[in-house]
Amino acid sequence: MLGLMMTLALMMGFQDPVGEQSRAATLEEARQEKAENLQKPTRTFLEQALHDFKEKRVLERFQEGFHGLHPIVGGIRSGSGFGGGTYVETEGVRVSVQGSIKGYQKYEVRFTAPSVYSDLFFADFRATHRNFPQERFFGIGQNSRKEDETNYRLEDTNYVGRFGVKPAKHVKAGVLAGWLDTNVGSGTSRRQPSLEEVFQADNTPAMANQPNYFQMGLFFDADYRDQPGNPRSGGHYLASWTSFQDHKLSKYDFGQYDIEAQQYIPFFNKRRVIALRAKSTFTQTAAGQEVPFFMQPTLGGSEDLRGYREYRFRDRNMVVFNAEYRWEAFSGLDLALFGDAGQIAPRPGDLRFSDLQKAYGVGFRFNSAKSVFLRMDLGFSKEGQHLFVKFGHVF
Amino acid sequence: MTRQSVFLTALVLILALSPAAFAQKFHNDDPLPQDNDKAVNVTSITKHKLNDQYDFVLHSFGKPGDRTKGPAANANTIGEVPDSSWFQNRQGMVPMSVSELTTGPNTGTGPSTEQPWVIIQAKTEGVTPGFRIRDGRGDVYFIKFDPLDNPEMATAAEVISTKFFHAFGYNVPENYIAFFNRSQLRIDENAKITEEELDNLLKRVPRRRDGSYRALASKLLPGEPIGPFQYYGTRPDDPNDIFPHENHRELRGLRVFAAWLNHDDSRAINTLDMLVKEDGKRHLKHYLIDFGSTLGSGSTNAQKPRAGWEYLWEPRPVFARIFTLGLWDRQWIHTKYPQYPSIGNFEATDFEPENWKPEYPNPAFVNMTDKDAYWAAKIVMAFTERDIRAIVRTGQLSDPEAEDYLVETLIARQTKIGRTWLTRISSFDEFGWTASGELRFEHLGSFYDFVRKPEFRVSWFSFDNTTGERQSIDKFEPKHNEGYYVASISSVEGTVDVYVRTVAGVDEPQIVGVERR
Repeated sequence: MLGLMMTLALMMGFQDPVGEQSRAATLEEARQEKAENLQKPTRTFLEQALHDFKEKRVLERFQEGFHGLHPIVGGIRSGSGFGGGTYVETEGVRVSVQGSIKGYQKYEVRFTAPSVYSDLFFADFRATHRNFPQERFFGIGQNSRKEDETNYRLEDTNYVGRFGVKPAKHVKAGVLAGWLDTNVGSGTSRRQPSLEEVFQADNTPAMANQPNYFQMGLFFDADYRDQPGNPRSGGHYLASWTSFQDHKLSKYDFGQYDIEAQQYIPFFNKRRVIALRAKSTFTQTAAGQEVPFFMQPTLGGSEDLRGYREYRFRDRNMVVFNAEYRWEAFSGLDLALFGDAGQIAPRPGDLRFSDLQKAYGVGFRFNSAKSVFLRMDLGFSKEGQHLFVKFGHVF
Repeated sequence: MTRQSVFLTALVLILALSPAAFAQKFHNDDPLPQDNDKAVNVTSITKHKLNDQYDFVLHSFGKPGDRTKGPAANANTIGEVPDSSWFQNRQGMVPMSVSELTTGPNTGTGPSTEQPWVIIQAKTEGVTPGFRIRDGRGDVYFIKFDPLDNPEMATAAEVISTKFFHAFGYNVPENYIAFFNRSQLRIDENAKITEEELDNLLKRVPRRRDGSYRALASKLLPGEPIGPFQYYGTRPDDPNDIFPHENHRELRGLRVFAAWLNHDDSRAINTLDMLVKEDGKRHLKHYLIDFGSTLGSGSTNAQKPRAGWEYLWEPRPVFARIFTLGLWDRQWIHTKYPQYPSIGNFEATDFEPENWKPEYPNPAFVNMTDKDAYWAAKIVMAFTERDIRAIVRTGQLSDPEAEDYLVETLIARQTKIGRTWLTRISSFDEFGWTASGELRFEHLGSFYDFVRKPEFRVSWFSFDNTTGERQSIDKFEPKHNEGYYVASISSVEGTVDVYVRTVAGVDEPQIVGVERR
C-alpha cells in the first residue's frame, strides 16, 4: 500500500530527483503495483438486495402472476377494507376474482370485442357478481344521523353489454343494455347494527324485497386529460342515462341521469394544478315507483365528500363539487388542499347551494411518472376527521 | 473512515511532510499527451451491474468518493486531459471538419434495410420501448423509439448529442436514425417477444405518414460488456484504473458538457465499460451511452421542467414547497418553453450553467473546480455556429423552424457557458511562440467578447525544477542553456504561470506547464 502511495505521489507532479523516471513510467509502475492487488467488486447489503430484486425480476414476476394469474391490489370498493385478488386474461377475455379483509367479494368476466373498422367501433360485455357484506347505511335524506350507522349486505349480479363508436380520438358514445339481479341481507359488521335492527322497511325502499332489472341506456365520454392516472391538464366530461325496469316486483322502475365534468387548470409548468369536478346523479320515477335505497346516489367518503364516512348521505338525487389545489413537492409526491361540497335531496328542486354539506382537507399523492399509486387524504367536516388511504387518484 | 479515505489522508500527509523527497516538478515527458492506461493486460475482470435504485439512494443520501475537491488527478501539467481509454482529444485540440463532426463515431450507415431485421431480444433495460435486432450484415443494433406525443424528439436528441459527446472526446456508441416498415421485422424464435407483443409495442410509438417508423439504431459496442463505471472510486479489479473517477478532469468537466446539452441523465447507469483487445492486450474502454434524455427530450416524454435545475431529491426545496403550500418555488417553475414537439423542453433564457444539475448528485460533477470547468468550456467554445448547425442537422428534424430553434438555443447556452466559466479564472491561453521567439498567447475571455481584455504584465523567471525556486530575469531568450523558465502573466483576473523548458540544440522552447492562480 505504501508503495502504491509513493507511486501515486510521484504522479502528482513530483519525483524523486535521484531516480530520474518519466511520468509515463511512473504511471505504469502504479498500474503494475495495483495489478498485484486486484479485488473483485463487492456490493453492500442494500445494493445486493436491490440488485437481486431487479435481476430476479421480483416485481415483474409478481405482476406477470403465476401460471397466468395476475395480482390485483385494492380496487374493490370504497370502504371495503384492504383487498386483493387475481385475474387471468386471454385474447379479449378477462376473468377476475377479488376479496377483502371485510369479506367483500367480487367476481367478474369481461369480454372485449376485437377492434372493428380501425378502432372506430367498440363493443364489450361484462358479467359481475358482487357480495359486499358491510355496506354502510345511515338512513335516507340530508338529515340522517351519524349515530344511526348500520350496515347491510349488498349482493347483485349484473350483465351488461355495450356498443359504441369513437368518432374522435378522445370521444366515445354508445348504448348499453343488460340485466341486473339484486339482493340485500343482514350486515356482518360487529361495530354497527345491521340495517333491519334500526330502520323500517316502509321508509327504506326495497329493504324487504329486491327487484331484478332490465336496464338500457346511453352514454357519452369525452376525455381530454393529458394523463388519466394523474391529470395535470385537460378535462373529462361524462354523461349517461340509464333506465332500470323492474321485472320482478314492478315497484322500482326508475331512470338515472349521471353527469360529471372534470377540469384541470395547470400553471407554473404544470407543477401546480387547480382540479375541479362537478358531479351529479338524478333519478326519476313514475308515480308509485321508488328507487331502492341501495341504488340511490350517495355522498361521503374518499371519492367525493371527504371528512364524512363512506355513503354517509343518500337520496334520490345528488350533486357534489370538488376543488383541489395540487402542488408538486418533488417528482414522487404531490400535495393537495381540497374542498368538497355536496348535497342529496329527494327532488332536484330541493338541491340548494345553501344546504351543501362541506368538507375540506389535505392530501398526499405518491405518484410515478403517469399515475398516482397511493393517496392519503385527511378530510375534515362537522362530523370529525377521516383519513383515507387509497390506491389510485380521486379524480 | 473508509480504506480509500485512509489512503488519501496518508497520501496528503506524505506530500505535505516530505517536500524534499518529491521536489522535481516536471518530468522529461511532460506534458503527457497520452496516458497509456492499456499498459497492463487485464487478465481477469468481473462483470458488475449497477442497480439504478441503489445508485439513486447512494448519491442522494450519501457522499461516496473523495469530496475534497482537490485538483484533477489525471490532468497533465498544462491542464489538459491526456488521451486514454476514457477520452480522446478531438475538437478541443484541433478543430474537426464538418464531415468529422457529423460522422462522429459512425463507421457505416446504420442497419442495412436490404434484408429483414431479425429481432433477437426484447429490450429489458431503460424506459423507452424497443428491441434488439440483427441486420442482413450480421450487425446487432438496439432499436429505440420516440414517444407518441413527441415524434423525432428522443431519436434526434440521441443522435445529435452522440455527435457532440464524440467531438468533446468521449467514447460513445454509433447511433443512427433509421426508418423501417413493419414488414422489415422478423422475430427470432429465442427473442421472447411475440408478433402480437411487437404489434402492441409499435402501437405505442409514432408512425409516419407513409406507414413507416422512425427509430434510433444504436450499434452494439465492440468488446465484452463489463458493466457501468461509477463516477467515484476506481474499479478494484482493473489494474489500469488508478485515478479516482471523481477526480478525472474529463468526468468533472463532463458537467459543463452535460449542462450545455441538458444531459440530466448523466449518471453511472448510462455508462458502460467494454473489455476490448488491442495489440494482444485486453483493457477496459469506458463509454458514455444513452443520450435519449438530452436537449429537450426526457426519453419517454418532453423533458421535465425540473430537469437540470434540481435533483430528484433535495430536502430544502421539497420541505419549503410543502410548508409554504407551494407558494414558494424556484425560478425553473416559471421557465417558458417553445411548442416544438420534436424539441421538447429546451431553452436558454433561464439557463444558468453554474447551477445546472443532473438527476441526482454525481461525485465527479460535485468535485468540479473552476479549472475543470474552464477546460471543458474551452472545448464548448471551440464549436462554431456552422459546426453546431451541421451536428443538429444529423438529428433529421423535419421541421426547419424547430431545427433553427435548437441551433439558436445551443448557441445561446454555449455563450452562457463560456461567459460563466472562461471568466472565473484568468483566461490567458493558447500559448505558443511568435516567429521572433516571443511568447504568444490569447485572452479567451475577450476573444469571445465576454469581458474586456485586462491590463496584464509578463514577468520572466528562471525556474529550478528540483527545488521549485524562481529567480527573476530581465528577459527570456529562447537560446538560453538547457533549463526551465516561467512566464508569469498577471492581471486583475489572477496569474497564469507558463512553464517553459529549453533544450540545448532545439530552437523552440517547449511549454511544459500552465498553472492558473
